[in-house]
Amino acid sequence: MFQVIIDSLIRASELALIAVGLTMVYDVLRFASFVHVQFGTVGAFIALSISLVVPLPIGWAILVGVVVACLVTGYLGVLSDRLVFARLRSSPAAILMIASFGLGMVMQYGVQAIWGAGARSFPLPLTRPWVFWGGRISPSGAAVLIAAVLAMLAFHLLLTRTKLGIAMRATADNPPLAEASGIYTERIIRIVWFIGAALGALGGIMLGLVAQIQSGMGFEIMVAVFAAAIVGGIGNVYGAVLGAVIVALAENVGLAINWAPLLQLTGLTAASDLYIPVGYKTGIAFVILILILLVRPRGLLGRRS
Amino acid sequence: MIDFIVYLLTIVGIYGLIALSLNFQYGQTGLVNFGQVAFFMVGAYFSSIATAILGWSVGVGFVLAILAGGVLGALMALPIGDLRQDYWAIATLAAAELIRMIFLNTNLGSEYVGASYGISGIPGPFRDYFSTDAYGYFYLALVIVCVAAAYVLVTWLDRSPYGRLLKGIRESDEVARALGKDVRNARIWSLVIGGAIAAAGGSLYAHFVGFIDPRFFMPLETFLIWAMVIMGGPGNNLGALAGTLVIEVIYNSTRFIHVPSEYSATVAALRMVLIGVLIILVILYLPRGLVPERRRRYPRPERLLTPSTGDRHAA
Repeated sequence: MFQVIIDSLIRASELALIAVGLTMVYDVLRFASFVHVQFGTVGAFIALSISLVVPLPIGWAILVGVVVACLVTGYLGVLSDRLVFARLRSSPAAILMIASFGLGMVMQYGVQAIWGAGARSFPLPLTRPWVFWGGRISPSGAAVLIAAVLAMLAFHLLLTRTKLGIAMRATADNPPLAEASGIYTERIIRIVWFIGAALGALGGIMLGLVAQIQSGMGFEIMVAVFAAAIVGGIGNVYGAVLGAVIVALAENVGLAINWAPLLQLTGLTAASDLYIPVGYKTGIAFVILILILLVRPRGLLGRRS
Repeated sequence: MIDFIVYLLTIVGIYGLIALSLNFQYGQTGLVNFGQVAFFMVGAYFSSIATAILGWSVGVGFVLAILAGGVLGALMALPIGDLRQDYWAIATLAAAELIRMIFLNTNLGSEYVGASYGISGIPGPFRDYFSTDAYGYFYLALVIVCVAAAYVLVTWLDRSPYGRLLKGIRESDEVARALGKDVRNARIWSLVIGGAIAAAGGSLYAHFVGFIDPRFFMPLETFLIWAMVIMGGPGNNLGALAGTLVIEVIYNSTRFIHVPSEYSATVAALRMVLIGVLIILVILYLPRGLVPERRRRYPRPERLLTPSTGDRHAA
């Protein structure tokens, strides 16, 4: 059981980092950005390429790769806003979503054209996982958890303790009022894109550290990331973290539970072993998404309807 | 060469049906369906299961596919009928992936049929009556008849009161609600009709290529269909067909460019980058597409615009 919790927390870290960026962009610009998960893909490939050429021990090389990848991807976020979304500020959300979908495809297939379609992984040495309370956690898994917690903490402090964070929240709440109060909202929007894309890149790298890196990885987690953002209440940063934990727990617990006793009670089956096939893991996020849309579309922590 | 043109036109016709369907949902009703490939997939699968596995006739498969597409449209629209477009986009995308996951994980009949093995041996309609060459022309004619029928249907709906309601919902669902219209119901029907048309395209596709597998129905397909509608001009049925032609020509253009085989994967990826860039350019610089929607103009209701406060008191 402890193993399930560890796996869930690692999965939640990856999802939360990307979902926070997604929900921030939504909070400020009011559209669901389908490009966001692709920042994870781009970031993971940049970090991989850098870590392969930096002449340092592998741990430090990856760290350099992470920093460079987050900066480059952050600027890529700003660039996508400048080139595409800034020109569509007055367009309906549908147009912005379609443009973001198109931009996402450009990134996914751009990555595929540069790095190929095959799966890659970080050149991590094989290490014995640490064991405690019957659960196993690999050093890279622990690194993912620590990095995610540190990033979230830093982001929380930025939002609550700095002038920039206050300006960001003001811009999200009421752009004309923020503008009237002397906040240059276009600059804030650019910073939101930078931070959001950089967090997305970090999430993608974390995903790559515990699994593999490939050009379709961003798209594969899109449903789970959106489910996390919507469950928490889209536009709410803390909600996105909560949503990520819920989605990750549901995925791992859902697969670990033997559903047979429950279904025997209802008389549907007599089988003694009934697990959800691993192939349906993403389906769990989808079911959560539909349930929350039916019951409480604004999410658990959502303010506006 | 002529064989290739016949093939290309058949594919353009099949995708044209799916583009007409998306244009009906998005261009007409304003619904952002990012799971359009689901209808295509369900149409192809139901038709294939009915014919290749159950051994029923192609006509039955075709009708079943259309029904399945309509039912799927209702199922997809029911939970989100009242929600904003952001939620539509996400929920439909997720639904399409879930349906692909079900087909990817389900064996049909025997061990090596369905799931990732796909379905092979899907029969073509009236295959025995034609030689191989003539059959290509026959199938093209069949596809053209279906596209024409769908075109007439969506154009007729466009001009009907229901079509005007859909356009009203597209512009502002609150106005439609204020006039006492059932917006949720109209949206659900839009997806039912759209789903049925796209499923017909899926059925035609399955019987044309003779083999289907879940990899044919990746989210990439949804993106291509969106590219067709955006390129052609949302809201214009002729535009949807024109956009289909342009995107399919770009998509198939790598057949004409001879590249060394070690670069073919790169070129295939770059082709998608090109289509993505084109979509963004069209949105930025040609937002109404190649064939813009014709807006109907109504005479100004002068009587309502004149100040009438005095009259009201008089009445």
